[in-house]
Amino acid sequence: MADKRSDLKKSIMDTKTLPTLPSVIRKLNSLSDNEKSSVQEMAKIVSSDQVLSARILRLANSPSYGFYRVSTITNAMILLGVNVVKSLAIASSIFAAMEKDNVCLWEHSLGVGVAANLIARKLGLPECEEIATAGLLHDIGKVIIRIKCSTAENDILGLIHTRQIYTLEAEREVIDTDHAEVGAWLSKSWFLPEKLGEPIAFHHDVAKSENYRTKTAVVHIADVLIKASGFGNSGDNFVPPIQQIAWDTLQLNEQLLAELVEEIEDKLIEVKTFCLEMMSD
Amino acid sequence: MQKIPLSSVTSDMILARDIFRGNMPVGMPVCNKGTQLTDDLIKRLENLDILSVYVEGCPVQEEGNNSLDIHLRELDGRFIKTFREPLNAILYNTYKAYLIRSMGGNSGRQTE
Ligand SMILES: [Fe+2]
Ligand SMILES: [Fe+2]
Repeated sequence: MADKRSDLKKSIMDTKTLPTLPSVIRKLNSLSDNEKSSVQEMAKIVSSDQVLSARILRLANSPSYGFYRVSTITNAMILLGVNVVKSLAIASSIFAAMEKDNVCLWEHSLGVGVAANLIARKLGLPECEEIATAGLLHDIGKVIIRIKCSTAENDILGLIHTRQIYTLEAEREVIDTDHAEVGAWLSKSWFLPEKLGEPIAFHHDVAKSENYRTKTAVVHIADVLIKASGFGNSGDNFVPPIQQIAWDTLQLNEQLLAELVEEIEDKLIEVKTFCLEMMSD
Repeated sequence: MQKIPLSSVTSDMILARDIFRGNMPVGMPVCNKGTQLTDDLIKRLENLDILSVYVEGCPVQEEGNNSLDIHLRELDGRFIKTFREPLNAILYNTYKAYLIRSMGGNSGRQTE
């Protein structure tokens, strides 16, 4: 049994079978160290892949950011930042497979993106767009588990159902790891910036987040709020415990929470419409 | 207007909204609002897997509270593991208050 688990873990963590990164991203990764490369230049590289650009723009106009209309890659880079556009390129290639066949997880992810953005704005935090992106990507490990080993995914869902346990617990039993760890490993393999990687890695264990604890705390709280609202589905149907350290880091209180719930529920109506539109084309 | 499950629909009720195939506004329209329902039509809707419809008036008495009850029960289900934790209790009460305010505030409302 233990052998089988570690075999599964090994196969999931095998970089050779990772979905391929769009070549555009590899070009960007090699460029971004070069301080001289301008936004225009980077936008030109991304725009050369038309399908990818269209997907990026669609996500950039999703309710997770939806405070302005973004119509060109250059604008997206200026408004959302190069990091965000890069992450959206990655997200859109990974999520491409699941938009249609796992709508529930897609809804959950978009919902957490929206909630993370609203929380960040309400608290006046810097880099709201990056935080929204971390929210959008926080459960990316689940997508990887699904892509790489759909039988493991089925076993995990089966365990959740029969034993009424959290996704995280079921994952550890079946594959000896969990989606947070897989997500962390993925963000390293794909050179996502740490400020996105940390929330992905530690959204279920905020105390372990050292450099970007505030961002991680926002994503943790956003995840809990979306689970509480019952929007989408991320595997199990249980609201996880709010971690005290996240609550304290963000200095939340009852009043703030009540306002956030109201704002998030308002915005979720838009997310629902956005998902329907995506499914219909 | 009232949203009711198809199982509670009886002939004579009048549709208050168009019905679409697959219950999605992007689907093909099946039946227009204003249509008076018949046993035949109800059967056809069953065959199309339509789960609920909007009808005129408020023919099913407890329904307004019912959907709030369903939401509250689902909320309880989601919090079943954590409602005893102090911070989650705050969130639970916040959500409960939100649901009651947004859908049950009219529990004393008279039938239109
Ligand atoms: Fe998660
Ligand atoms: Fe999640």
